[in-house]
Amino acid sequence: MVHLSSLLLKKYHGGYVVIRFALAGHKQANRPFYRIVAAYNKRARDGKYLEQLGSYDPLPNINNEKLVSLNFDRIKYWVGCGAHTTKPVAKLLGLAGFFPLHPMTITESERHRARAELTVTGTEDGLREGQKDAEV
Amino acid sequence: MFQVIGGRSVQAARVFAPRSAVLVEAVRGRKSRTDPVAKSKVGRIKVPSPVDPVEMVVLKERYGEYQMIMRALRLEFKEEMLRKRYEEDTGSLAEERARQEAEEHRILMDFNHQENQRMLKLRVLRVQQEKEEADCKKLEVILQREQEQQEIVKEKEKEILKLQEDAKNFITMENLDQRIEEALDNPKNYNFAIDKQGKVVKQTVLQ
Repeated sequence: MVHLSSLLLKKYHGGYVVIRFALAGHKQANRPFYRIVAAYNKRARDGKYLEQLGSYDPLPNINNEKLVSLNFDRIKYWVGCGAHTTKPVAKLLGLAGFFPLHPMTITESERHRARAELTVTGTEDGLREGQKDAEV
Repeated sequence: MFQVIGGRSVQAARVFAPRSAVLVEAVRGRKSRTDPVAKSKVGRIKVPSPVDPVEMVVLKERYGEYQMIMRALRLEFKEEMLRKRYEEDTGSLAEERARQEAEEHRILMDFNHQENQRMLKLRVLRVQQEKEEADCKKLEVILQREQEQQEIVKEKEKEILKLQEDAKNFITMENLDQRIEEALDNPKNYNFAIDKQGKVVKQTVLQ
């Protein structure tokens, strides 16, 4: 596809476009806020980007929800132009339903579930053993 | 700690400006292989994190599917973009828009033409008037010049007449003797004074 961006952008040798998180410079300690951004791979994380495609607030708000905004039209455009996505962005989009669910999300949830079952069975066994000891 | 850059380096941060001929960079990790190990890490053996083979097989399967779907999605998006582009350039709406723009252009060009015509008429009138005024002025100038010349001629004629009249009293070769005799016969006395009021006074001292 013809690169539809303006011709004033710097030419990077072997560079490609990524959709990734960039810290929005709010300059407050322990309060991060990310912008979902399409930028060249070689650029600094918080440096000049091509276009902002949304935002992500990692800390939950009063109603215990983490707010995310996404501009699907422009994401489609950039992905069609050949942009890569970083892992966290891919996971987020998978959870949103725009992309398929990332395999690691599924495996993480399975692991979490296995651990939860282990603890439940562990406590049950512990309780049963405690009862046996009490009987004996 | 510091390494000399030969050809390529992946994660380099140029700390100092390269004053020497050799470029020096700071690479990840504070210590080099010759520095001694820290006391807390003396007997440490680094072991990679354990991998569950069953989970790994399932994960590889899932990754394969995921990448296939991602590839398909990318191509789909590309196609959608191209189609949108095509629609914009050569769709039904585009034709209507082009037609409307052509209409507007034509209307504006007509208006411009009208304006030009109007301005042309005004300009022609104005130029004509100016030309007439210039002609009038020229005529006036010519008339004035002629008048001046005539006045000069009149003055010159007056002078000539005056000269002619004076010429009667000139002394010529024929009048010479007669005039001399006349002058000798009538001695003129110019010794007189004149008062402020204009009274001529011939005698000053009472004799």
